[in-house]
Amino acid sequence: MPNSNSADSNTDILEESSSVDNIKKYLTFLSDNHVFAIDASYVTEIIINHTITFLPIVPYYIKGIINLRGQIIPIIDIRLKMGKPENIKEDGSNCIVVLNIDSTMLGIMVDNVQQVLDIDKSKISPPTVNNCEELVNGMVTLADGSTVLTIDCDVIKRT
Amino acid sequence: MDNGMDNMLDMYLFETNSLLEQLDSILLNAEKSKLFTVDDVNEIFRIMHTIKGSSAMMEFSSLMKIAHKTEDLFYIIREKGVETFDDVCSEAEHHELFNLVFNTIDFMRSEIEKIENDEPLTDNIDQELEKINNFIDKINTHFGNAQNSDSTEKTADEPAAENSEKEQQNEQHKASNEDLPDKSPFFLKVFFDDGCGMENLRAFMLVTAIKDVCSDFTFYPKDIETNSETAHQIIDNGFLMGFNSKEDLDKSVAVLKGQSNIYTYEVIENEQPAKEEKITPADTVKKEEPTEKKTKKPAVNSSSSSHSSQNKQSLISVNLSKLDSLMAIVGEIVITESMVTSCPELAGLKLDSFTKSARQLRKLTDELQDISMSIRMVPISGVFQRMNRIVRDMGQKLNKDVELVLVGEDTEVDKAIVDCIGDPIMHIVRNSMDHGIEETAEERIKLGKDPKGKIILKAEHTGSEVIISITDDGKGMDTQAILEKAARNGILTKPESEYTKKEILNLTLIPGFSTNETVTEFSGRGVGMDVVKKNIEQVGGVVSISSEIGEGTCTTLKIPLTMAIVDGMEIAVGKSIFTIPIHNIRQSFKISASEIIHNVDNSEVIKRMDEFYPVFRLHELYGLQTDVTNIEDGIIIWVEAGDKSYCLFVDELLGGQQVVVKPLPTYLNDFNIKNSGIAGCTILGDGNISIILDVANLYLKAQNIY
Repeated sequence: MPNSNSADSNTDILEESSSVDNIKKYLTFLSDNHVFAIDASYVTEIIINHTITFLPIVPYYIKGIINLRGQIIPIIDIRLKMGKPENIKEDGSNCIVVLNIDSTMLGIMVDNVQQVLDIDKSKISPPTVNNCEELVNGMVTLADGSTVLTIDCDVIKRT
Repeated sequence: MDNGMDNMLDMYLFETNSLLEQLDSILLNAEKSKLFTVDDVNEIFRIMHTIKGSSAMMEFSSLMKIAHKTEDLFYIIREKGVETFDDVCSEAEHHELFNLVFNTIDFMRSEIEKIENDEPLTDNIDQELEKINNFIDKINTHFGNAQNSDSTEKTADEPAAENSEKEQQNEQHKASNEDLPDKSPFFLKVFFDDGCGMENLRAFMLVTAIKDVCSDFTFYPKDIETNSETAHQIIDNGFLMGFNSKEDLDKSVAVLKGQSNIYTYEVIENEQPAKEEKITPADTVKKEEPTEKKTKKPAVNSSSSSHSSQNKQSLISVNLSKLDSLMAIVGEIVITESMVTSCPELAGLKLDSFTKSARQLRKLTDELQDISMSIRMVPISGVFQRMNRIVRDMGQKLNKDVELVLVGEDTEVDKAIVDCIGDPIMHIVRNSMDHGIEETAEERIKLGKDPKGKIILKAEHTGSEVIISITDDGKGMDTQAILEKAARNGILTKPESEYTKKEILNLTLIPGFSTNETVTEFSGRGVGMDVVKKNIEQVGGVVSISSEIGEGTCTTLKIPLTMAIVDGMEIAVGKSIFTIPIHNIRQSFKISASEIIHNVDNSEVIKRMDEFYPVFRLHELYGLQTDVTNIEDGIIIWVEAGDKSYCLFVDELLGGQQVVVKPLPTYLNDFNIKNSGIAGCTILGDGNISIILDVANLYLKAQNIY
């Protein structure tokens, strides 16, 4: 949810950056109290409270498939994928970010989405050595001092 | 047979053209990034291999030779390693390679155009071969290798080839220097803006515009509408129009001024106005020019246009994706129709005219569905017929007497599938001919076999898939030899002793594996079987090989019917909804607990019609949550697929419905879903998804669990 604070941080980053080419839009979302950022160019839409059809056999982190206007899209629970406990909401609501990664459509289930940020790619530092989560490929500190983890879309696609 | 040939030619032209297009795009991409990836080289190699094969089959030797040479070139690059190639070659050489391959493509295109126009092919292709050979030599020296033996052979032809090249160039030069192509008294020479693109079409638009004001005029080049190559001629030499009177000329200049993108134009007055003939000379003179493409084009096209329209007949080629979306929409209509007619708000109402209209609608949608399905269905015989030629030609060349038996060639399959299985079947048949069948009849007699070899090509339709098998009664595959070869090629991933027979046979499907030591025209570069696998997997199919030494080899392609509408029975288990194809269901019934017989391992069995059948609980198979666990509360569905017959225990039946099969997202392919009894999914009238069960595979899954 954009607020005045985030607008400030955006401009800060813009001013610091050396080249405009490196600025990319990222969508941040919350999952198990961590803030993650995903390259917004992969994001096609955000849907909430969509019925997910359970699919047998597949690994536990694949919640199932959804029918998005006639298209069948698999849904991955990002919490389960990262080995975190499932986020069970009493009202059964959910929030899905639909991604198109090199024409592979898939949805990731997140706790909630936050905002779209401009992030200077050169400012993203590689993950630390003790990072054992393969989905995370970098960390970046925003102007407001908070740190977000960037998600590697290719890894998501690779199942 | 005449008809069959036409069909084959059509397919060949279409296929080769699309391959060349594909090649173009690969090369363009590679050129952009300034280096080849391993995939690129493999892909180019495969394309050349296919062109070579199909050209040989159609007896277009010039194309075959060129493709063969190019294949050789990429073979070397592939063998030496793409990275090393990228390293050792300078940028100039890279550039040369791209030019070379592009030239080769252009040459092939021109040859194909000739085929399309029913002209004889170029006989003398030494020039082209020479260029490729030179390049091969060059990169070979880079790799520090000895000279390619091929090239030394060819050097003898070199001077001659060079001479003829020069002559041709001279001739061409003359042609373009020839001042004016006919004897019209006035000429207009038009140049278009630099880099405006599509000059030929712009010229054509100009011609149409001028036609409005003056009917009698000539223009050069003549085939601007159909031949995009003319764009270059127009850029270089300008676009010429000839007029018979000053009046016409003035009117045309007026039109010209109204057109956009015109850079300059110049009016040329021809000194000797037309005396005897007016237009004919241009045509006849041009016809006698050497076979060089550019000069020949104008004359050819006018004469061939009538011809090609005959060839095309009533076939139109439609993009498959359009048919896909048609199918999808028809599917949606079918669903929507049932949503409307069975709308709960209508329940209990007596609506005579509504019911009547609804019935009419139903009839029409059924018809629509049938037609849109049938558009996509083509008999497999086209593909099978091609194999006859291959077996015959190869049999003659290899001196093997082989009979090809076709079974089920009337089987109709989706067009997408036919397109994808042509190549694979061809490769498998070639392999059977080349490596499968014994070298000599004596060898076969010694083994107690019919001296005449036999290859059986069989297609059949089971409910949910098409099964194509290619069986030969040849030598069979030597698993030990395969294993050794694989070890030498370094494609083994675990110790040799751990490989099962099936795994060993599957090794032959890995790229770069070939059991044949020598390279022949037919096969043996190890591209065959991995093309097979790739193409079949593209349509969601599976390749399996079985082979007994001395008895022969059988390659089976199982391809699912990806797009189809099936009659399904909806069933519920817990919260999930599944669809079982009606044709798999024999019976559904309720039973009492006393009818269940328990096996030693406590698995459940029931007796129907004096036979025993296992009972599988679907919720156990798939780990689903359900309240219905008592066998008396649910319902038993007796299903059958092929030789497998068993019973499924489910919560309840929801009713029959026609459903459109949608494949599951490719992302999920890695999880072995297809082998676990899930064929696909479908969208129900209310937007929910139902999972379509594959009865045959579900049985295998159940066997693993129980």
